[in-house]
Amino acid sequence: MSPSRRFGAGLFQGSPLALFCCAAVALVFPVGNTQNGKHVFETHGCQQCHGNQGEGLSNARTQDFAPRIAPTRLSQAAFAGFVRHPAGKMPSYPSQDVSDSELADLYAFLQSLAPAVKADPSSANARNGEHLYMSYGCYECHGDEGQGSTQTGASRIGPIQIPFAPFVAYVRQPTAQMPPYSAKSVSDAELADIYAFLLTRSTPPAAKSIPLLNQ
Amino acid sequence: MNYVQVGVAMAKSGRTSVKRRDFLKKAAVGAAALAATPRLTEAQPPRGALGCPVAPISPETEFGTPPAMEVLTVDRSGSDFMVDVIKSLGIEYVCANPGSAFRGLHESVINYGGNKGPEFITCCHEESSVAMAHGYAKIEGRPLAVFAHGTVGIQHAAMAIYNAYCDRVPVYIIAGNILDATKRISAAEWVHSVQDAAAMVRDYLKWDDLPLSLPHFAESAVRAYKIAMTPPMMPVLLIADGELQENPIPDDLSLRIPKLALAAPPQGDSGAVAEAARLLVAADNPVIIADRAARTPVGLTRLIELAETLQAPVIDQMWRMNFPSRHPLNQSQRSRELVCNADVILGLECSDFWNALHSFRDQINRTSVPLTKPGVKLISITASDLFSKSNYQDFQRFPQVDLDIAADAEATLPSLTESIRGLLTSDRKSVLQDRGAQFAIARQESLQRARDAAAYAWDASPISTARLCAELWANIKNEDWSLVSFTTFVNRWPQRLWSFDKYHQYIGGHGGAGVGYGAPAAVGAALANRKYGRLSVNIQCDGDLMYAPGVLWTAAHHRIPLLTVMHNNRAYHQEVMQVQIMANRHSRGVDRARIGTAIDDPTVDFTKLSQSMGVHAEGPITDPKDLGPAIRRALDVVKGGEPALIDAYTQPR
Repeated sequence: MSPSRRFGAGLFQGSPLALFCCAAVALVFPVGNTQNGKHVFETHGCQQCHGNQGEGLSNARTQDFAPRIAPTRLSQAAFAGFVRHPAGKMPSYPSQDVSDSELADLYAFLQSLAPAVKADPSSANARNGEHLYMSYGCYECHGDEGQGSTQTGASRIGPIQIPFAPFVAYVRQPTAQMPPYSAKSVSDAELADIYAFLLTRSTPPAAKSIPLLNQ
Repeated sequence: MNYVQVGVAMAKSGRTSVKRRDFLKKAAVGAAALAATPRLTEAQPPRGALGCPVAPISPETEFGTPPAMEVLTVDRSGSDFMVDVIKSLGIEYVCANPGSAFRGLHESVINYGGNKGPEFITCCHEESSVAMAHGYAKIEGRPLAVFAHGTVGIQHAAMAIYNAYCDRVPVYIIAGNILDATKRISAAEWVHSVQDAAAMVRDYLKWDDLPLSLPHFAESAVRAYKIAMTPPMMPVLLIADGELQENPIPDDLSLRIPKLALAAPPQGDSGAVAEAARLLVAADNPVIIADRAARTPVGLTRLIELAETLQAPVIDQMWRMNFPSRHPLNQSQRSRELVCNADVILGLECSDFWNALHSFRDQINRTSVPLTKPGVKLISITASDLFSKSNYQDFQRFPQVDLDIAADAEATLPSLTESIRGLLTSDRKSVLQDRGAQFAIARQESLQRARDAAAYAWDASPISTARLCAELWANIKNEDWSLVSFTTFVNRWPQRLWSFDKYHQYIGGHGGAGVGYGAPAAVGAALANRKYGRLSVNIQCDGDLMYAPGVLWTAAHHRIPLLTVMHNNRAYHQEVMQVQIMANRHSRGVDRARIGTAIDDPTVDFTKLSQSMGVHAEGPITDPKDLGPAIRRALDVVKGGEPALIDAYTQPR
């Protein structure tokens, strides 16, 4: 059995919220090996389109564009799904070319490239995070509960499913439509609080258990 | 004689009749003279501008004949004939805020015309009048009439006309004006008169005219209707001059109403259609993008036939009710993925084909990238190619297509589908069936993903837009319902969760993104639905309703059944996000985007607002569990023939 990690589990150590939060966001992913992931990245030609550091490349002449993927804002499951069944010009990488284990390694490598974050997740304050989430306008596109919106193009982020460092990296330098939140606007510590708040968002009951969603 | 007779004074001038405004003008001058008389008797004879003596004017010389001897009534005026013309066009309603510039027409509609076919619908704002016409045409497929002042009325109506223009919807506007300056009485008539009333909106009209006689009016009225109803459909404007409306119809004037024969919509060139068929049949991954493809219920059926013949996915951009939401080939929720992988894309009445094929990024450096693969073949069928104007930029960015067919898509679909059928071998049909089976699976997966996504924030307060739409669906799905509002601002949840399969079940959107369209368009569509006994449902944005809420009174006054559920997010939320983008870009004050955009402090009490206008209302509802019962209570009212409104506090989107 592959090793696993629980995102957010460390954020509330010693906190009264710890048990609740960890129970609510028990997101289990296989943990990859970053060194192996670097090897996968280089040997499968990822850098040819996405750059040596996964920073993203664009070609003005051909109008080709490969987004920054280090770190990726996708959850590990979404990342794996996209690599297997990509949209646009990216070629598909079926399991015979890149195994599930190699994909986990690649994901770990890409997320390890996130810049260092000046925040201590263990001191995060979810209640303050909720306040910041609302006052800094995150709710505007992502919804009060982080449920996301097709109209705004905002992803579902409640409960958050990517590690903290890629989360911060994306907020600082979004590759899509999201407005960037610079360190001048929101500190790493505040982002840690927001992240903690998002972790506390509950996973809903299955749609099949809601009669109104089965009409 | 039906003419107004005049007495001695006018007889001396050699004239045997006077028109209405001659009389009124002289009456005004006479009144002024009366006021001046005492001074004139005490002073030297007044002198004119050139120094000539001016005789004092007495009531006797001014009016000559005592009023009792005048013929002050008339059996039939020009406006009666205008109503005959309007009736000949089958126009059911006139939406108008009353205005003196068309008082003749107004009176003729309600008395001469019996206030039926057309019936006068009292509106509280000309923007509401036109937007009601917009919504009505979306359901009925033909226009109702709008009356307005040629100046202030058209000014009020301008934005709604622009919306209808962008949305390719026929709206039939008649504006009053007094062209002859000598026939205007008062200050009000002068400021309500204009040389060229259509000028201010001509950039977004398909056609306008200023008839100078009743025969001219009849020809232009029929011509205007025909032009408005020929794809691409758009608003038209006729000026009804005050003199023409109110003067008696001369006995010797021969009047007739021209026969209306609507133009057959233009079909695509047969060679181009054959080439399109060849490309689509040969494609491995063809995609159909439908924007304003279906003009009528027939258009919906024809698009189904095309998609099923080709077993090609349809991306419904939902500016019309183009395609059943749960059809296995409705792949609208996978649009990006499909566009990226397509080898042939057919755009049907796409208002912004370029945007459907590109990703645009709104950062400091605005960039775009094509979503399509190299070598993709693009086919466009649109009647918009047949009519273009320069000033307003609704034509969008230029799409580089490979095969451009300037024609009405709905009219062209039968020949395209037939051409495709003629090219399909049994082997090819088998391949297409396999393709279709994959889409059927994908459609079920999309539905399940939508339901899973709707479960998030299910019990949240304010209420999630998904919950709101699910509660509504539970209560209307067994009725003959019609959603008469745009769904973009509720994340397209209706199309993602509900089953749409009839043309009247959705009316699309505004066209020109002019806020204030929603509420009156919903009332107009509900007016059209009323005679069919349909349940009209409106998911109403709060900011939109604040533009001209008087349309609620119109709905109540005319007993227009309409269920409105507020999407009350207490802000002009699109603008909240726009300001947030700017604040983030400048890294200053990212917590202030609600300044100037929020609708709170105080929050608007839409319940009291509605009740004040005679509309049943409840709310605000903040707990999602309370929403369903409130909807059911409101439905009882609506089924009784009245409008009702539920105010729900909602998530932003």
